[in-house]
Amino acid sequence: MTGPAPSLDCVVTATGCVLKPRGCWSIDNLEQIDRLLGSTLVPHDIRVCIDASELSDLDSAGVMLVVNRLRAQGVVWSSLELVDFNTHQLDLIHLVAERLDARAQPRQRRRSLLPFLGRKAANWVAALVSQFVFFGRIVEGIVEVVRRPRLLRLREFTTQLEVVGLNALPIVMLMTFLIGVVFAFLLGIQVRKFGANIFIADGVSIAVARELAPLLTAILIAGRSGAAFTAQIGAMKVTEEIDAISTLGLSPVQVLVLPRLFAIIIAMPLLTFVGDVMGMVGASIVAYAQLDITYYTFFERVKSALSLETVVFGLAKSPVFAAAIALIACRNGFAVQRDARSVGEFTTSTVVQSLVAVILINALFAIAFPEIG
Amino acid sequence: MQPDRANAALMETPSVLQVEGLHTQLGGQWLHKGIDFSIGRGEVVALIGGSGTGKSVLLRECIGLSRPTRGRVRLFGKDICELSRENLNQVRGRYGVLFQEGALFSSLSVAENVAAPLVEHTTLPLKLRNEVVAMKIRLAGLPMDACDKRPSELSGGMKKRAALARALALEPELLFLDEPTSGLDPISAREFDHLLRVLCDSLGLTALMATHDLDTLWGMVDRVIVLHGGKVIADGPVKEVAELDHEWIRAYFSAHSRSR
Repeated sequence: MTGPAPSLDCVVTATGCVLKPRGCWSIDNLEQIDRLLGSTLVPHDIRVCIDASELSDLDSAGVMLVVNRLRAQGVVWSSLELVDFNTHQLDLIHLVAERLDARAQPRQRRRSLLPFLGRKAANWVAALVSQFVFFGRIVEGIVEVVRRPRLLRLREFTTQLEVVGLNALPIVMLMTFLIGVVFAFLLGIQVRKFGANIFIADGVSIAVARELAPLLTAILIAGRSGAAFTAQIGAMKVTEEIDAISTLGLSPVQVLVLPRLFAIIIAMPLLTFVGDVMGMVGASIVAYAQLDITYYTFFERVKSALSLETVVFGLAKSPVFAAAIALIACRNGFAVQRDARSVGEFTTSTVVQSLVAVILINALFAIAFPEIG
Repeated sequence: MQPDRANAALMETPSVLQVEGLHTQLGGQWLHKGIDFSIGRGEVVALIGGSGTGKSVLLRECIGLSRPTRGRVRLFGKDICELSRENLNQVRGRYGVLFQEGALFSSLSVAENVAAPLVEHTTLPLKLRNEVVAMKIRLAGLPMDACDKRPSELSGGMKKRAALARALALEPELLFLDEPTSGLDPISAREFDHLLRVLCDSLGLTALMATHDLDTLWGMVDRVIVLHGGKVIADGPVKEVAELDHEWIRAYFSAHSRSR
């Protein structure tokens, strides 16, 4: 589309100044045109005339440049004489000149520190407040459900239970099994040094039941279901489905949040228990292969080393993790704005926030109950 | 007066867009059963038809976003189905598209949206590019303070204008519009029509739009192509098409004449 190269002649006589643009004055040659106009001095105190007889092509970008540069040199646009333009070009010139005339002040983009900090702080406070509002809604919803159990959406609840619990079973089993194997293998190397082979059962069972299985399950669920919750609710927000739910006289908290919250709270301890078992199964296989401890000996030892208290402690942590994940995920889902980028942003922050929350809660548990295990 | 101008444009210039024997099969059904039409330089043409007659699909096929099952689409004389990707992208620089919902990039501001085609297809220095962007935004009738807004902060009419500014960024010769006035109130819709007409006339644009808006048809369009039953059943100036004795066309135009 690049036509003949543009050029510009400027003839100044006593009666006036004649500008003679030549060639293709279009967006492809804009840089050249800018240079041409910049190097031409147009006197602004005499009549200025533009002669288009040798102009081969003109588009709105070209017109814009002529208008802007001539104005910058002080030429009064309305006193300009336009010669030999065809009607389309004249239309175009008048349109562009008129639109650029009404141009407001050039936009300012300066950003200073104080307003930036202020805006950030205000956003933080607003986010905190909305957090509390959301938690308030959840509590309100739970109270309502407790009063009238009929309000719980059973179908949604069971669907979520299947998605969050049953469908996550294979991956949880695989991960905890592998962690059990690796942990037993490394621990086995250490205990063999002391000839304390049988203590592998103590070490693995306590570690898996108390820390590894609950934490690993929570991390998997945060990545798997937490992200899914945010994306689902966020996408529903984008397509105005949440507004539709409210308009039908239903509470979005009842319909969307509570089934997910209850499902994940119930599913997580169950998954954690399966994780406990799989971790120990993995460890027993390694113990047999590496240290020649029979399965019978291994589980007999686990029975005496692992107190019920430890197992219950691990299982009791997981509903708390679950609640934290569900609340963070649902809140982020509702916070999604109506554009495509925001779904991704909030899904990312769900995963990050829920992982941080899980690890923090785990630390609190460890500090609060150091005597267990 | 408008038909005269359209005919004159047809006669003196080769067609910008040519569709020949186009067939489309979608979901086991034939959506288009042999569509032929061509559009000359400088014409503003509307594509009408009931819901589900494949206007949008036809538009997508003209743009090269999807392929017809059979038939040809020639843009600027080149068959777009046979172009290599490089050549297709070159042709793509010569037309602009206004999608129904605007399809503005939601992560970019309005100014960045308009600048996007310029960044990709030209080597303009930043200062010049900003100047061009500001001009396009003004040309589309947006105030300058809209530049730094995100698409989610704009009203429907402003979104369309911003999308138009982006479609015009590369000085296209041909403009495709999918329902340009849908979702706008009648006043904004007429304003938008007027803006389009002025831009088309002064920039020498050729435009093909799918529309449902009868006021657009009567107000600013040179020619109407009616799609019905997978075929073009009428093709001509609005006045002539409205007079035609065809059941669907009569129903279509009378649906509005009552309120006129």
